[in-house]
Amino acid sequence: MSRLRRLLPVVATVAGLTALFMFGLLRGSPDRDIPSNFLGRAVPDFDLPVLERYMAEFGPRMTLDDVRGRPLVINFWASWCGPCYEEAPHLQRAFERFGDEVLFIGIQTQDRDGRAAGRAFVDRFGLTFPNLFDADSRTSIAYGLFGVPETFFVHADGTLQHKFAGPVTTTILEEQIGALRR
Amino acid sequence: MSALVVRTRRRLLVTVLVLTWLVTLGVAGAQDRELDPRVFEIGRELRCPTCVSESVSESNAAIAREMRVLIQEQLDQGASRAEVLAFFQDRYGDWILQNPPMRGMNLLVWLLPVLVLLVAVVVVMRMVRRWRAAADERIDVDPTDLDRVRAELQGPLGEGAGR
Repeated sequence: MSRLRRLLPVVATVAGLTALFMFGLLRGSPDRDIPSNFLGRAVPDFDLPVLERYMAEFGPRMTLDDVRGRPLVINFWASWCGPCYEEAPHLQRAFERFGDEVLFIGIQTQDRDGRAAGRAFVDRFGLTFPNLFDADSRTSIAYGLFGVPETFFVHADGTLQHKFAGPVTTTILEEQIGALRR
Repeated sequence: MSALVVRTRRRLLVTVLVLTWLVTLGVAGAQDRELDPRVFEIGRELRCPTCVSESVSESNAAIAREMRVLIQEQLDQGASRAEVLAFFQDRYGDWILQNPPMRGMNLLVWLLPVLVLLVAVVVVMRMVRRWRAAADERIDVDPTDLDRVRAELQGPLGEGAGR
């Protein structure tokens, strides 16, 4: 009995450490869960070149001021990023459904492969919402990005409703856009 | 082929090589422009957003390089160390700081090690006290056993060892 009592702290410590270890293993990428520091605040302005495909409609450059007054979905992506390929069709479908009320903007960032790779990406998925090019990743720093893809859901007044890190799905887009329209 | 042509070609080749070398040097310089040592001091206080356990100063990720240039630009504009750190903290939150401020959940990071150390000291002290008490305790031994052991110890060397 006394031996059991003596062993109890050791067993409890090992069990505790194992639980902590398993929690660390199973919680995924912890940095991804960190909420944006812009929650409830105005998102930063940007002034970026528009990818060639969209120039006829949107001109050579686009700023946040150009699109103020409408709810926004800003999606950051890169041509080397696997999950960005996963989410692109979901974004295009959501844009076709909600594009009249909510403006979608894609921003190619943290991408050394540059415009040619960006052009191939938007062509591959036939993305019809405007996509911009953040060559020096300054906009991604301004938005406090941890990686790509990340999607920002912005109210019409420019304040951030939610940031989603990782590939968005139709369900997430519907949920967040629903909240933006309310 | 005349000697003149050979000489001209050789000169051309040397010129091309020297030019190529100069251009390469220029490009490399542009990518890693001369930065103030203060940039690296401040960069050491910031976490690289896309890396694991690396500061902005240590990382070679494109985003970290751009952040170093950004720090340099801010210093050039007269910003202080605190202002530069505040700039990144405003965008990334406390996460970006290698030394998170002592408030809220961050307090755990500062207090937990001290707490664990205190608990460890208390546990070790209690154990030592228990060992000492056990050492001071009188042990009752059967006199016959004691006599036997004494006899074996005084006997010829190795006599009792083989049994």
